Order: sequence, then structure tokens, then C-alpha cells
Amino acid sequence: MSELLDALLDPWRSGITTRAFAEVMLLGAICGPLGFWVLGYRLSYGVESLSHALLPGLVVAMIAGVAPLAGGAIAAVVAAGLIALAARAERVGPDTATAVVVTGLVGLGALLAFAPETPKSIGALLFGDPLAVSDGDLLAAALLVPIGGGLLTALHRPLSAALFDSLGAPSLGVRPDRVRLALLLLVAAAVCVSVQGLGSLLALALFVGPPLAVGRRARSATGALLASAAVGIAGGLGGIYASYHLDLAAGASVALALCAAAAVGALVGAIWRPAAGVRAATT
Amino acid sequence: MIALVEARGLAAGYGGRAAIEQVTFALEGGQTLALLGPNGGGKTTLLRALLGELEPLAGTVALAGRAAYVPQTDRTRLDFPVSALDVALMGTLARGRWWRPVRRADRDAARTALARLGLADEVDSTFGTLSGGQRQRVLLARALVQDARVLLLDEPLSGVDPASAERIDALFAELRDEGRTLLVATHDVESARGYDRVLCLNRTQVAFGAPSCLAQDVLERTYGAELVVLEGADGPVRAIMTQHHEH
Amino acid sequence: MQTALLELLLLAIAGGVLGTWVVLRRLAFFTHAVGAATFPGLVAASAAGISPQLGAAALAVGYAGGVERVGRRRGSAPDAATALLLVGALALGVVLASDLLEGGAVADRLLFGSLLGLDNADLWLAAAAAALALACAFACGPTWTAIAFDPDGAPALAPRARRLDALLFVVLALAVVASLAAVGALLVSALFVLPAATALLWARRIPGLVLAAVALAIAEAVLALYLSYWLDAPPGPTAAVVASTAYAAAVVVRAAIAPRREEPA
Repeated sequence: MSELLDALLDPWRSGITTRAFAEVMLLGAICGPLGFWVLGYRLSYGVESLSHALLPGLVVAMIAGVAPLAGGAIAAVVAAGLIALAARAERVGPDTATAVVVTGLVGLGALLAFAPETPKSIGALLFGDPLAVSDGDLLAAALLVPIGGGLLTALHRPLSAALFDSLGAPSLGVRPDRVRLALLLLVAAAVCVSVQGLGSLLALALFVGPPLAVGRRARSATGALLASAAVGIAGGLGGIYASYHLDLAAGASVALALCAAAAVGALVGAIWRPAAGVRAATT
Repeated sequence: MIALVEARGLAAGYGGRAAIEQVTFALEGGQTLALLGPNGGGKTTLLRALLGELEPLAGTVALAGRAAYVPQTDRTRLDFPVSALDVALMGTLARGRWWRPVRRADRDAARTALARLGLADEVDSTFGTLSGGQRQRVLLARALVQDARVLLLDEPLSGVDPASAERIDALFAELRDEGRTLLVATHDVESARGYDRVLCLNRTQVAFGAPSCLAQDVLERTYGAELVVLEGADGPVRAIMTQHHEH
Repeated sequence: MQTALLELLLLAIAGGVLGTWVVLRRLAFFTHAVGAATFPGLVAASAAGISPQLGAAALAVGYAGGVERVGRRRGSAPDAATALLLVGALALGVVLASDLLEGGAVADRLLFGSLLGLDNADLWLAAAAAALALACAFACGPTWTAIAFDPDGAPALAPRARRLDALLFVVLALAVVASLAAVGALLVSALFVLPAATALLWARRIPGLVLAAVALAIAEAVLALYLSYWLDAPPGPTAAVVASTAYAAAVVVRAAIAPRREEPA
């Protein structure tokens, strides 16, 4: 019994691991609920593209010795602009054009990272390193939770209205395009903050894992949001615990934990409703 | 005569949910059928089930031999780097030897088909630069090259300019004289009276039979409020769709 | 140097040829996913000391088969579950690497490719991929085009459409696996998507598209090779940067030359 207690409490005795816990739990708390809307508004591919596209910005920030969040923010603006341009590609189609943008930017980031002058390796930027989270990153995550949570609460009814009936929403005084824009901005900010913790390749797990795990079991949107936050926090906890006790990469462990949660959620959904023949989660 | 196209108690749909139900009809060789119904009523679903694209959820469907399918033009890609001739040539794939390169005979057949539809001058034009009516005619040419006994057409006249529509109507008459079987999903209730059979579909089958079965109540059950039927002395004279169907 | 050049040339041929139908069928994400999904397999094989291609090939073909069966949609953006599956695969690879591999250099090589580690086995694989790509393009190209042009109507049109469609996925997966040693698991799109996408901006007919895609792929591969040596960087990122720059240049040139043509209604 005391062994179990030790196993649970040991990680908290280390300052580094405690900070890692804090980072991923904060991120899970806000990105989980955001992920519910990401799924609803079909933004998964956009989030994935944006998080990948931040890589060169992060590398430049690292080389220049500037806070990675600053590099990420500037890169987000550039990347979002490029992705928006790509969305208008006619002949090749928006998805192919987005793939071109993302491939190019990831390649650029990697190229800059492999240059001899680069101090660190690229691994932390790609896959995250919660154990090395800086004060600034923690502060950013800590701020994102109340600000993002507040915004989600304030926008809750417009978001729901625009999602479930975008044609009828204006008659309710809701402008779907404005709502969508607000959501996009909030998600973009969350992506910038979350790539500090989980890296540009794995950050998507924070957004998509929890809502897929919750599936359609929640009774209401609010319930789904809270459940997603809970899964996000639990995934962060579980991931860091696994990383600590099994000596595995921390960021990737959190990502795997969230993916596992989604898999479990999907499986439970499939078993519970086998005759529906429809996938449990919205895309 | 044995039925060339047949369905019995057919139900089909997507994701396990039936979009159409209780479809029962039989079509013999050389007959033409007009498939009537509102948007979303399942006309395209029925066509896809007949093609074998959709597994029936209930009932049976049978189509003897191979059918040529002419989709609505907005379902094909406009930005594709193909000419009208290239599209018509796609019909030669149906002849079986798909791995063989295109031969002169194939090219001639494609040109002939395009000329038959009044597109002799547009043979080398990029598909996407043609007008809606012209594109529809190119897809018809493709079906001609296939040389299939059965043709399934999904609203071939919608959004088509009058000149193209005339050509297409003339083609239908020719195909019918050649003994081919036509199944045409259409919004044009009027023209449906010129067909051998009509099938009214609005999720479930409302009616199947000769065009004389297109009584007012049948039309109302098919189209709901979309249809305005003008009465004449001997019954419904003219039926007008109140909605213009956008695609 | 010669080995690397030959390898990249062969891969460029496969990439340009198959890339034509990747962009026509909107399979860009699938291509990227096939490459990235092999990452955990590569890590495990590398740690176990067995040929990474075997592990990768098994995973890639399995993934291709699975996606082809499940996602018969018209290509395009993946749904959330597929995107997450990919993230899971990457995370699994990283976790395995942190457990099984010493240091980050091997993982970097698996992700971004390497010029130095290429041996004859890789060359044979690349040659096979190029040959297979060319053969299938000649035989199946028209059918693949017909499917891409009209996915709903193609099965009615061509007798073997479904099977040939599946063949495209499998051949693509195999070619991607052949390219992993050179460009890495993360950036296979640099060969299989980007050159063909650039060619598609200008192409007016399919044969021209294939030729242009292959020519671009070869030119970009050679340039990327030179750049890799000069910068002492892996070939994956250099190929990605070269290819995307070429695409951007093509977009700009095209916008400057051919302003706003009205699409007919």
C-alpha cells in the first residue's frame, strides 16, 4: 500500500516533474473543451496544419534566444495567412495546397534546426518537453485557462447555435462567421501555447483526444465540455506518471495517453451501439 | 420478355440508414423510365443502388449486363486537365481491356459520339471551359462510347441551355429507336408523360406504372408543396415546379 | 554521392509519376500519413537490428489497406480520428525511441532521411518502386484518371475500377516505403505531392502533367541533394524546402501571367 502511495507521490517531490504536471494539466483543462468545438466545426485538419506550420518560428526563436512563445505567435500569423491562401487554391484544391504549405514549413524548420549553429536538438520542438517547461510557458498556460475558459463560457450559446443550425442562427442574432472567427483566434492562441508543452507534431492530441474519448455520451454541450476538460487533465496526469515511472519521453507519453483515451472512448461507443453502424464521434 | 432492370422491395441508403424504401419495378429491354421525385427524395440513391454502388439494405436489385451512368455535371471535377475528347474516351474503359493504350478506332468512336451530340468543334477544348449544357453532352458522349444497353441518367437536362436540351432529347429518341433501355431521373413532370413508364420516389415509392398514373394525388404525394398542378377539363393539364432547383 | 544521386533520381521518378494521381485524387494527406505511420515500425526495427524496410512496409501496406477500405470518401481532409491516429503513431515512435534507442540521432535520421546510410538494398528498392510506378501508370493510368474525374460513375464505367483503385493505394504505399531511407518518414510529401502539385498548376492534359511532375521532381531532387551536401543537412527537409519554393514560385508566376479567368456557370 505504501508502495502505491510512494508511486503516486514520488513524482510530486521533484520540482521539475511538478512543473510538468502543472503544464500538461493546465493545457488539458483548456484544450480539451476547445477540442469539442474543434471537432464540431471540423477544424482538426486546420489545427494539425497550424501546429505543424509553427515549427520554423519555434526554431528561429530558439536560435535567436527569444521566448519560443513569441516565435510561435509570429509564426502562427504567417502560417495562418499561408494556410488561408492555400484554402483558396483552385486547381490543386485546398487540402493539397495546405499540405504543400505545411510540408514546406516543417522542412524549413528542420533545415534551420540542423544548421550547425543551432544549440539544441529539434526533438523538443517537434515532440515537446514538459519537463523543461519555462516559467513563461507555465504562465502562458495558466493565463490561457481562465481567459479561454471565460471566452468559451461567454460564447457558449452563440457557438452552439452556429454549430447546430448555421442557417437559422442569424435569426437568433448570432453571426456564424463572427463566431467562427472568434473560435479560430482562440484555438490559434491555444495552439501556440500548447506546442510549447507537447511540440508541434503532437499538440493535436490535446485538442482531439479528449472529445473523441467523450464521444456522444455527454447529455449536453456543457457536459461534453466539462468531460473533455476532465479527460484532458487525466491524460496529462497519466502521461507524466507513465513517463516518470517508465522513463519515457514526457510529451509523447501524454500524447499517447490522450490517444489511448480516445481509443477507449471509441471502443466503448462501438460496443454500446453496435447496430448504428456510424462512427461514435463527430469529425 | 425478361426484365433488364428490376428491383423488388429495395431499400438502400448510407451509413445503415435507408434513404429509399419499398422500391419495386421492372423494366424491359427498349423501355424508357422517368424517375420523378423531389430533391433529396432518393433518385440518385436509387441510381447508385442499380449500379451496384450501394448494397441493398433490404430487397433485391438486378441489372442485366453493364449500364452507362451519366451523372449530374457538378459531380465531376471542373478543374481536371482533360479535354472533351479525353472524357469521351473514358467510355472505352468499359470495353474491358483497360490496360491497352487508346487506339485509333477508339478515338474515332469518341469523335463520332461527340459529333452526334453537336460537339464536333469542341473536341479539344478543356472540359472545365465548356458550358453546363456542353459538359452534360460530353458526359452523354462518354456513355455512348460505352455502348451499353442500359443507360442511367441523373437529371441530364437540369441547368442545360435550350439548344443542348434539344440535342439531348433528340439523342434519347435515337437511343430508344436503337432498342436501348433508358432510366432518366428528371424534374420535368411534363416530359415524363412521354416515357414508357414512370416511377415516383419520395423516400418511399409513391407510384410505378404508365404515365397515366400521374394523377394529381400521386404528384402531390411525390412532391408535396413543390408542385402546382393546373387542372383542365379532363384532369391535370400542367404541373409546375414552384422551386427552382439549385445544384 | 553517386548512390545518393541515383537513389533520389529513382525516387523522383516514382514520386512524379504516382504524385500525378495523388494530386488528382486529392490523396495528399493519405500519402503523408502512410509515411508518418511507419515511424514506430522503423524505430522498433532499428532497435531490433532488422531491416527497417520490412517493418515499415508491413505497417504501410496495412495502413493503406485499412484506409482504402474504410475511407472511401473523395480524398480530402482527414477526419479527426484519422488525424489523431497519426499523432498516436508518431507519439508511439517517440516513446519507443526514448526507451529503445540511444540518443536522438537515429530518430532524426528516421524522421528526416539521410544521405550517408543509403546502401544497395535501398537502391534496389527505389528502382523497383520506379519500375512499378511506371508500369502501373501505363496500365492503370486511364482508369485512375477516370476514377479521379468521376468517383461516383467510374465503377460503372470501368470493370476493374475498385481493384485498380486499391492498387493505387498499395503501390503508393510501397513507393513511400522505398523513399523512407532517403527523405525520412515525415517529409515524403516532398517527393510524392509537391512536384505533381506544382505541375498541376500549369498542366492542361494528363500526359503533360505526368511528364512535368517527373521533370520537376528530378530537378528538385538534384537541387535538394546539392543543398544537403552544402548545408550538411538531411535530404528530407532540403527536398521539402526546394519543392515548396518551386510551388510558391509557380503560383506567383501563374497569378502574374494569367489574371482572373471567369469559370463558366
